[in-house]
Order: sequence, then C-alpha cells, then structure tokens
Amino acid sequence: MKYCNKCHISIKTNHNYCPLCHQTLEVTKDEEVVEKYPPYQGKLRPVKDITRKILMFISVTSIILLLVINFFTGLDILWSLIPIGSILYFWILMTVGIFSKHNIAFKLFILTITLIFFIYMIDELSSSEGWALNYVAPLLLGSCIIAISFIILIKRINYRDYITYLLLIVLFSIAPIVLILFDVITVLWPSLGLFVLAVFILLFIIFFFPKSIKDEIKKRFHA
Amino acid sequence: MPKQKINQDWFKLDNSAKIFPSVSNSSETNTFRVTVTLKEEVNVELLQEAVNIILERYPMFKVRLKKGIFWAYFDYNSKPFIVQKMDHRVCGEIIPIENNGYLFKVLYHHKDIAIEMFHSLADGGGVMQLLKSLVYEYLLLNRKPVTPDNIIATKNDKPEFEEYEDANAKYYNKKNRKHIPEEKAYRVKGTYLDDDQTGLISGVLNTKQMLELARKNDMTVTEYLTSVMMYIIYKTQIQYREHMRSNEKPVKIFVPVNLRKHFPSKTLRNFTNFIKTNMRMDKPDISFEEIKVLVKEQFSQGIKKEELIRKMSENVAFEKNVFLRMTPYFLKNYVLKIGFNMLGIKLNTMSLTNIGRTVFPESMKPYIYDVTAAIYAGKFNTIGCAIVSYEDKFKITFTRSIIENQIEREFFRHLTSQGLDIEIESNYVEEYS
Ligand SMILES: [Zn+2]
Repeated sequence: MKYCNKCHISIKTNHNYCPLCHQTLEVTKDEEVVEKYPPYQGKLRPVKDITRKILMFISVTSIILLLVINFFTGLDILWSLIPIGSILYFWILMTVGIFSKHNIAFKLFILTITLIFFIYMIDELSSSEGWALNYVAPLLLGSCIIAISFIILIKRINYRDYITYLLLIVLFSIAPIVLILFDVITVLWPSLGLFVLAVFILLFIIFFFPKSIKDEIKKRFHA
Repeated sequence: MPKQKINQDWFKLDNSAKIFPSVSNSSETNTFRVTVTLKEEVNVELLQEAVNIILERYPMFKVRLKKGIFWAYFDYNSKPFIVQKMDHRVCGEIIPIENNGYLFKVLYHHKDIAIEMFHSLADGGGVMQLLKSLVYEYLLLNRKPVTPDNIIATKNDKPEFEEYEDANAKYYNKKNRKHIPEEKAYRVKGTYLDDDQTGLISGVLNTKQMLELARKNDMTVTEYLTSVMMYIIYKTQIQYREHMRSNEKPVKIFVPVNLRKHFPSKTLRNFTNFIKTNMRMDKPDISFEEIKVLVKEQFSQGIKKEELIRKMSENVAFEKNVFLRMTPYFLKNYVLKIGFNMLGIKLNTMSLTNIGRTVFPESMKPYIYDVTAAIYAGKFNTIGCAIVSYEDKFKITFTRSIIENQIEREFFRHLTSQGLDIEIESNYVEEYS
C-alpha cells in the first residue's frame, strides 16, 4: 500500500508516483502487487504492412503508366484496360478472396460477378466474338451455384449465412435469359442450362427452406 | 410493436440503439465496461465454458449486426464466442469482424471478469444482469456452493419475451413529444491521447461514508456527485477565465436514468433516459451551494414522469417519421451521422452514470471482491464518469481521452477534504508511449 500525502489517497501499485498529482508516493506497506490494469501493449492494430504498400505503389504507377501509353498510341483501341483490369482483379482477389473475413459464399459471389465483368471486358476489347457472355458467364455462374449449394449441404448449421448469397446468385443466373431476348447472347444452350439449374435450386429453396426466405425478406426489408 | 415470437432469432434495434451503429468509430466507440473482481485468479477455461452456457440463456446477445434495406438488425450469430485477455484498451471500438461478429467482449485479467458492450445491444442495467449470470455460472463450474436466490437468471430459466422488448416504444406517447431545441455545451479541452489509449482513474470510497455525506447535504448520491462535478469543472476549467468566449457555453452533465426503476419492464435492451444539468458558468465566484441548489432543482424537473415520457417520445417520434423510415439504410447512415456530429454529441459536456447498488445473493458474496464500471471517453466528451457500488465499496471511475487530469484530482481531493477515505486505482496511462 502506498499513500499520497498531497491528495490524501492510498493506492496499491508498483509505480512510485501518484496518478492524480504525479508526486512521489509514500510507502506505507512494502509489497509487490499485481497491477489492477494491464500495461500498454503497443499498437494492436498494425498499420498497413510494407508489402502491401509496395504492391499498392506498383499497381498505381503501372495503371497511370498504362493509361499514358494508351493515350499516346491512340485511343481507338483501349487495350490498356485489359492489364488494368487484371491489376484491379488481383486486388479484389487479395482483399475479398483471401484477406477478408467474410463468409465464403459472399466471397464466391463477389469474385464470380467481378470476374464475369472482367472477362466480358476482355472479350469486348479483343475480338468481340461474344464468347464471354455466351459460354464463360453461364459456366462461372453455374459453378458458383453448385459450389455454394455444396457448402450449404456440408455446413448445415450455418446455412442461413449462405442462403442469401445463393439466392442472389440464382437471381443473377436468370439474367442471361434476358440477354437472349436482346440478342446479346447468341449461343443458347449454356444460358438455358444455367436457367434450368437456377430454377431448380430456387424451387428447392422455396420448397424446403420457405421460412428462411420469408425470414430473410422480413429482416432485410423491415422499416 | 408487432407481435414477435419468442423463438425468433433476429431482432430489430430498439429505439435508442438505432443511432449508435451510424455514429460509432475508433474515437467515439459508444462502448462501456462492467467488471466483477473475484477473490481468486480467473480460470480461463471455466470462464469460456460459462460464457457458452450463458449465451444459450441470453439469445439476444448471440447476435451480430446486419444491414437491411431500411434499418440494420441483429441476426443470429452461429460463430463461437471467444473470451479474450484484457489489454490496455478501455472501452475501445468493438470491431465485429475481429470479434466473430459479436458486439460485446468478455475479458479477463487476473481476478477480473469484464464485459465490454457496444451500446446498441444493451444498456448498463442489461449488461449488469448478463454479467451477474455469467459470474454465477462461472462460480458454479468452479464448484462453489452458490444459489441464485431469485436475483440471478440462470441457464435453467427460460428467456422471457419481455427481455427483448423495445420498452421505449411501449411507453411512447404521441401527444407528449415536443422537441425542445438545445444549446451546445461547454467542452473540456486538453491534449488528446491516441485513439487506442484511455486514461482510467477509479476512486474506491466507503459506501456508508458516501451516503452519509450526500444525506448531510440533503441530496441523493447522484445529485451530490453531479454537483461536485459541476463545481470542479468550474474550478479547474472556467474560473478566472470567465471572459473567454468558449466559457460562455453552459456546462451540461448528462446523467442517464434507468427507466426500469420508473416504468415496469424486464427488458435487457436499452431502456434509459437522462437528466441533464445545465449552467452557464461565465461569472466569477460561483459557490458550491449555488450549484447544489440548481442541480437539485434540475434533477427534480428532469425526473418527472411527463418529462421522461416526453424525452422518450421525442426519440421514438423521430424514428417513426415516415420520410426517415423510407430512406434506404445507407443514406440514413449519412443523415444520422451528420445530424449527430453537428448536434447530438455536442450537447453534453460529459456523462456521469450511476449504475447504483449491485446486489448478489448471499452465497456469492464470499467470492466477489468488488464491481467496477467504466464508459468510453471520446473526442468531444473528453471525460466520462461511471459509478457503481457493491457492499461497502463505492467506486467512482473516470475515463479520459486527454492527458490532463485536473478534474479527477480535484474531484477526489474535494471528497477527501470532506473526510472521506479514498483508495485510488489507475491504469497509469502516462506510462504509455
Ligand atoms: Zn497525489
């Protein structure tokens, strides 16, 4: 026990000054005590690490460089968007795919949708043959649906965390049908296959997890 | 309120909870802490086990915050809850993603078991009940012969619907909801500590001595301590500098009122309102007597039933506003943030919260040393004060976000000058670097 004769307070501490007036404490009983509060442990939330900074620096400078070169070689072909898109996708992959703590269904959903946009852009900027929307997009969406469905089957307990993203990806999978109507998609079977899969999953959810959907809608839309 | 089934696993945010997610960040954390200090070192495995048991009993805490289209909501959290070792942060920001989505922490440090809670989920009263149950289950696992004696809710009690209710909406009165505009409050200035640092100084007094002192002054303990606080703020911050512009603003102390004591409700969620003292101190020689008279008057005005209902209804009416309700959540977020930063937070000089007497069953008392409460200190309200008592220990805890500590020093010196014995506890923030 220690005592401050200026503030007239006693204190149990190993420090030798008063926390109120910073004057030296009198020792009334010499003892080793356990401090009431833990000592400072330094910054617990580390500042962005150096690798990240270097990668960020390289990415930003390359994007600017690519844009400048593209500008001087003529703007009729925007070829620089392909490497720039790759760089951006790399960042999405790193931040969402690897380092974020979101659930895996969310990650799959985001990565699939952004990948489709990226691939569509490559197709448009290169030969513009339409393979991205005709084949790749339905294939990616289909794989994503199957992947999330499998995760739900395996991790039963957490299915509620995933079902929203399954629903979202199912809704996205109906989009190619609309694109067929507008003649954007010319090869029918991949989109139709995807549509069948999406409807099948949707009906499955409606029949077997009706409460989940109702709850989900109630939760998200309560005003 | 629409009828809700007891087995539902998601909850709307209660009226007072709605504001917090939008306005909280690393400096305005809106977190508070309640600690029970045992007489033995805490066994971490048993504590973890006790928490797991208790979360089954209190499903309303086993949630995480999710965004809806119009409002955020609490959704069932399937991830495990993990107890953590206490570090130097006091009432720091609770970052859900680093905390398995949970909005509270259970911390241990030697003999201490503490709960740090994000204010959106519950208020001091609710957390105290949770902590009592947790300590009870912990002692039981530790093979101590404790009994609940109708004071503690144990794992065997079924959760009641009333524990989840939004009691504010229940007592809302449409006809009594006049909004009274307020002036900005005086602000205690100082040199900021880093965001992750908080200065903490507690004074442990003798409960009997404290009650006697208040009685001698013909006031309740809260009224008396609030008066002392006003007086000390005047003494240390304003006196002899009355002419400065910034000192014209009134000193206002925000004193939460536990509405469970005024309206019947078993809710664990936010059910507090406030009394606010308000005094312009830009004149020389204000006496303590003068302040006491004013504080007593403002308390008796503030605690009137109509006034409490008015303040409650004012908030609920805001939430029920059709335009606000129909605004998408992400926009609402901005509206609330801007509104709160412009006004809300600047209407108080500081908060002084008295959680009151903590009651434990006789059988638990031999194992419990004392109880501590603490609230966060932010950038505008640079100092906070939380009071709680257990048996003969009456504990006043100051938290601050600035280096300067004259207010604490003079506050405790004032009490010792009245003949009270004080034992100080501090986290010695001045050692941090
Ligand atoms: Zn001292």
